[in-house]
Amino acid sequence: MKRVFALPTALLVAGCDSPLSTLAPAGPVASDIAWLWGVMLVGAGLITALVIVLIILAFRRPSETNARFWTHGMGLWFSMIVLTLLLGAGLWVGERIQPRDDEAVIVRAHAFQWGWEFSHEGPDGDMIASSDLLHIPAGRPVDVLITAEDVIHSFWVPRLAGKMDAIPGRTNRTRLVADSPGEYDGLCAEFCGLDHAFMRFSVQAHENWPPDLSEAAQ
Amino acid sequence: MRWLALTLAGPMIWAAAFTLVYGMHGVLCAGVAGPEGLSLTARLVLIASWALGLAAFVPLFMALREGDALTDRLPRYGTWIGLVATIYTLFPTAIATSC
Amino acid sequence: MSDTTYAATEEGSATAVDIARNPAQRALPLHRELSRVWANDKGLWGQITAVSHTTLGLRFMATAFVFFAIGGILSMLIRAQLATHDGAFLDTEIYNQIFTMHGSIMMFLFAIPMLEGLAIWLLPKLLGTRDMAFPRLTSLGYWCYLFGGLIMLTALLFGVAPRDGWFMYTPLSSAAHSPGINADVWLLGVTFVEISAIAAAVEITVTILRQRAPGMKLTQMPLFAWYMLGTSAMMLVGFPPLIAGSILLELERAFDWPFFDIARGGDPLLWQHLFWLFGHPEVYIIFLPAAGAMSMIIPVMCRTKILGYGAIVAAVLGLVFLSFGLWVHHMFTVGIPHMALAFFSAASVLVAVPTAVQVFAWIGTMWKGQPQLHLPMYHILGFFLTFVMGGLTGVMLAIVPFNWQAHDTAFVTAHLHYVLIGGFVFPMMAAVTYWMPLITGRSRIKGLGETAFWVIVIGFHGTFFIMHLTGLLGMPRRIDVYPDNPEWIWLNLTSSVFSFVLTIGFAMFALDLLLQITLGKREKRDPWAAPTLDWAMPMPSPNYNYASLPTLRHLDRPARDVIMPLARGEGALPGAPRGRRELLVTRAIGAEPDHVAILPGNTALPLVLAASICAFVLLMLASLYLVAAFALIPVAAFIWLWGRGMSPVGDLSPVEIAPGTILPVHHRAKQSLGQSGLVALLVADGTLFGSLIFGLAFLSVVTQGPAAGIAGAENFATLVGIGIIAALLVIAAWAARGMTRMAAMIGVAVNLAAILVLIWLKWTQMDDPTGHARDALRAVVAGYVALHIIVATGLAAFVANQHARGEIDQVTRGAHPAWRAWQGFTAATALLAMVILLAQAFA
Repeated sequence: MKRVFALPTALLVAGCDSPLSTLAPAGPVASDIAWLWGVMLVGAGLITALVIVLIILAFRRPSETNARFWTHGMGLWFSMIVLTLLLGAGLWVGERIQPRDDEAVIVRAHAFQWGWEFSHEGPDGDMIASSDLLHIPAGRPVDVLITAEDVIHSFWVPRLAGKMDAIPGRTNRTRLVADSPGEYDGLCAEFCGLDHAFMRFSVQAHENWPPDLSEAAQ
Repeated sequence: MRWLALTLAGPMIWAAAFTLVYGMHGVLCAGVAGPEGLSLTARLVLIASWALGLAAFVPLFMALREGDALTDRLPRYGTWIGLVATIYTLFPTAIATSC
Repeated sequence: MSDTTYAATEEGSATAVDIARNPAQRALPLHRELSRVWANDKGLWGQITAVSHTTLGLRFMATAFVFFAIGGILSMLIRAQLATHDGAFLDTEIYNQIFTMHGSIMMFLFAIPMLEGLAIWLLPKLLGTRDMAFPRLTSLGYWCYLFGGLIMLTALLFGVAPRDGWFMYTPLSSAAHSPGINADVWLLGVTFVEISAIAAAVEITVTILRQRAPGMKLTQMPLFAWYMLGTSAMMLVGFPPLIAGSILLELERAFDWPFFDIARGGDPLLWQHLFWLFGHPEVYIIFLPAAGAMSMIIPVMCRTKILGYGAIVAAVLGLVFLSFGLWVHHMFTVGIPHMALAFFSAASVLVAVPTAVQVFAWIGTMWKGQPQLHLPMYHILGFFLTFVMGGLTGVMLAIVPFNWQAHDTAFVTAHLHYVLIGGFVFPMMAAVTYWMPLITGRSRIKGLGETAFWVIVIGFHGTFFIMHLTGLLGMPRRIDVYPDNPEWIWLNLTSSVFSFVLTIGFAMFALDLLLQITLGKREKRDPWAAPTLDWAMPMPSPNYNYASLPTLRHLDRPARDVIMPLARGEGALPGAPRGRRELLVTRAIGAEPDHVAILPGNTALPLVLAASICAFVLLMLASLYLVAAFALIPVAAFIWLWGRGMSPVGDLSPVEIAPGTILPVHHRAKQSLGQSGLVALLVADGTLFGSLIFGLAFLSVVTQGPAAGIAGAENFATLVGIGIIAALLVIAAWAARGMTRMAAMIGVAVNLAAILVLIWLKWTQMDDPTGHARDALRAVVAGYVALHIIVATGLAAFVANQHARGEIDQVTRGAHPAWRAWQGFTAATALLAMVILLAQAFA
């Protein structure tokens, strides 16, 4: 019996650690959201179980039941309290992960059909461009300024933060933080035409900032 | 007709207040907001618009009637729906960062 | 004028309406007399000319079911492609067309028509009347739906179907990035189909408010009617933003008017706002009728009455309003400030409360009664399991930070299928199995339906439950291959395998229905022992529904106790002694009898009108814009003929609906069904106007593009022209208050003059609409006003013609009230538009 479950379990564990998994956060922004997900998953599981039990109990003999218990007690108060707690948690996390003016490193991401043009500030203050590879410092907040050339795209690095759309005519801003140096995968999340599936990119988080790219290249 | 108007009044006030605050927010962000977001004055304007929506419920509550028939209860339900929605959906004016 | 004996007493008292009993007759001759008048014509021609709500409601549902099967086959192709990581089954272009069409078909050609069909078929039976308020409009809606759907399917067959996603985000759907007619097929096809949605919304609203059995007060009507009243109100306000958006995008594609082009002051986010202003209420438009059906079925299955009727009505009220405050939760990642996101997040969370109230009221009803596991109850249990989970993931998606991760991933695909299949398809299966005996007169063959249910449940959850995880592991929507992500393979393969199980389940469900239709034994009347009027009629239901119409004494009683009295003609307005289709119209709130409406009979005019609109749509698709403009002439001519069909001719004397109760016919009533319908239509029309004004405000305030040139309105000649039009429209509105031939002639002349001035302004003063988005939108607002003046001219001419024929006078008012209302609306919107445009020009 153990064997039957061994394979899916192994796959599941491997899956959660995969390069695009929101469940393997590698920075505080993604961790906060993963925490929210964990809370909501447990809550949703309990509520589903409660509803199923209530429905099973309904198949007993008919009983005198208080209408207000169902409509006001369960429908109104129970749901209101749960939802208000959740909304509060959501707004709190949302406020925590907002970009703000705190000396964050600024990098740029420009999306087009079908690829990404990134740039960051080099050692001498010039912007250094790179294709489909974004350089950021590790352990420091990074604000990405996101623009688009042609149609709407969406910038998403699941292990570092949520997504933000790249919209022609607008400059959007999102915050990434990578706890440690390494490479993180990203993709375009908004349907953008024929090669949407191939609009992938990488994020390289560096120990030293600005990075010495000649060394990294070797 | 009176009870129908009373029933719809609460949600209508919510819709109006929601539109007003959301619209004001757009105008303020496009116009007067600096790089650090909304100024205190701008935020107070938003909160005042919210308060205006809440104040509109005072006369509505005074117009409600007692009674157990559904025709009496529905206006009460409608008014409470509107009030709770106005409080619930617009309280971020007081706490959330903007622009 | 009417010598009624009913007593309109205080609200809340026990009897507001007392109608005497008609003498009993023999049921069979009554049935024959009614069948002669109400039956469809024979054969295929009879299907073309049918206007009966029973025929058309069933046909809506059957057609929707066919589209469900087609959409389902498309989803099988998607799942086949995704079963492996480098599927070579479809090329990307075709794959994009297929997922776009899957979504569009399921939304616009299955879900909406299905709920319209159920409402059209069921409401008159439930409310105790003989047909919908506007039978020809039902038929017109059906043909528009069918033709629009066929246009989209044909495009798919020829490989030119829409391919930009069912949400059609621009600039991807703009002429530059989506050349060819693919996007036009969507914009024109869906808008064509939406004629049926607006038509259905208008007549559902009027039927519920004006055709309830006398004494069935608004606060006592069956819950399904409350739900449909909420749904139709939402459709009247929810569809116009989509129609406005589609018109703008089509104008941009066809004529280069740059509403969404950032280089010329447009904004792609304007499309998203207009689309989701429709798109989110749409979800509740789909859910409410399903919830309404469950509120009818659950108490019957549990041998009790619904628990918390008032709370459920309040929940519907809350949902109707709140669902218009959530649309931005589809746009959490477009870069809107956190405060604005928080408004919509809070509203999205709050909307779960009325949903919870309903779910717990239903569970409470099951506690109160004794649930019996008939087949409809299986599907209701399937609803509970599926919808509760879908609702909970919906709450998760309302939380902004989590949405930023889950948005546009397979998690959302899973969520929306839990909500739509859980919240719509399961309840619809419960509804179909519940009402099938009334549809066919036959009982079902035991066993197959239950098996189908289990296969569907297993197939559904097997497909979609793990898809939540697929999304959290990062798989975005709308990709066709994922060569670098082996970790998604087993998840997708599992979903694909179970999706075929799900398909087999739906096929078994369809087979079960076919067997019931063809082989089922005759079912006895009122098989569920229900307490509502829909079962108080012969089975299968005849076209006229009731031999005599139920009155207060027939309400709130077991259906089986009132079948015979109604069949014997003891209710109101028995038979069809005057040889015409008659039904009773009551007042909106208290359901006091008001007048007798005479309905039109079988006619092919709806088909002809729909075909002429279809010709217009096809010419637009072929980019033959000038010819298309001329194609509007037959459309106008058929609409005129349509109006002629309502002329007050023949016997207009009052009708005795029961001993002592004499009511006028609708031509001489104070507020006819037609007038109520026009009010509903103007609500939708006003929302369309509001959507355009919203667009203007959005482009002026939010969009940070290049500035528009100096508006032409600052020109003196423009001011004079606008002033003249305003004066002319005020005169026309004043003339429309007069009930003489002269007034109508003045109306025609003044409206024509206003059109001429508008044309002069357009040629000499108006800015080139292709220059800047704001100029383009101003031109659209001017076009909106022009269209309304043209229609007003037509109405005034129609009234003048009725005067000339001597058909109308102070009592028999013909089309005059319609002209008057339209002319007033036209003047009001035109004046408002002028104020806004001038304010914008001088700001």
